[in-house]
Amino acid sequence: MRFLKNVFSQLHSFVLWALLSAIFVGWIFTFVTDTSPEKKVEIYCYVPELRDTDLAVELERDMPEGLRMIRVHTFTYVMMNVDLVENGDIYILPESVIGEYEELLADRDAGIKVYDAAAGKGAASQYIGYEEEDYYLFIGANSPHLEDGKAQAVAEALMGISE
Amino acid sequence: MERRNIEMYDDGDLARLERKISRWRTVMCCVAAAGLLAVIVLVLITGTGNASVTEAAAVGVTWAAGWVDIYLWVFVVRANKRELSHATMLRTEERERIPGRARLTDGRVAIRKSITARRVEVVCEDGEVRRLLIAQSRARKLEKIETAAVYAAHGYIAAAEAAE
Repeated sequence: MRFLKNVFSQLHSFVLWALLSAIFVGWIFTFVTDTSPEKKVEIYCYVPELRDTDLAVELERDMPEGLRMIRVHTFTYVMMNVDLVENGDIYILPESVIGEYEELLADRDAGIKVYDAAAGKGAASQYIGYEEEDYYLFIGANSPHLEDGKAQAVAEALMGISE
Repeated sequence: MERRNIEMYDDGDLARLERKISRWRTVMCCVAAAGLLAVIVLVLITGTGNASVTEAAAVGVTWAAGWVDIYLWVFVVRANKRELSHATMLRTEERERIPGRARLTDGRVAIRKSITARRVEVVCEDGEVRRLLIAQSRARKLEKIETAAVYAAHGYIAAAEAAE
């Protein structure tokens, strides 16, 4: 009883610690486990909902040789640092915004349809929350994997994920 | 008639409090080091940053270690430090001798940024009642003494004169 009374009297410290440590450990974890762009593939999805970690883990199960990590982000992830999005390897964009991000794409005309709004079917739709619009997958213009084909291999793996 | 003076905090008590503070500080350092080590191990065994379960475990370990340390700091180390500073004050400050019989009451006072105290009433020989305080941890010591007088500093009982 006394223990609980003590804990409640310092609840603000416990909550503050919980918040700070989650942010700090998350940052340390990301920092320490990160790797060079040559050893990872970054995927950016222009969607409102995304199970980023689950999709990354699924794709990491069958990673091309030489890759250490696959990271999946929404575009909102890079709102604070726009430079990050410029170095993406794969982009998943709705048809309506392709023009806005044209310069990030290796080949605008080489987009692969990943979600068909009319049919309501798309690749990895259990992880990616598509909106009612066609979505396309593109390889990034600044991707370090343009030559080695690893981004292409990951894109194919993503296309192969079905519900 | 010879009377015996009993200090509420003797030299042994001060040394004991200092040892207690130092021991609990060591425990806090060990908890923090163990938490940090666990996080390092979890980070090292993780291949990629997508290991959400490992990351959650690392956050959980950090929470637990931090909460234990917060608890120990606030309710053990700081409380003992306050008692030590209170005891040192009682040992060094000028005291007033109040002849009379001390009676411990049930009243408790939690003094902000200080110790928890019990209220004591001293019934003087002329019938006057003086109200004083005593550290909660010393209340039992006073209870065992039939007092002829008490010595007070800053409203706290620092020592008691036992009636033979």
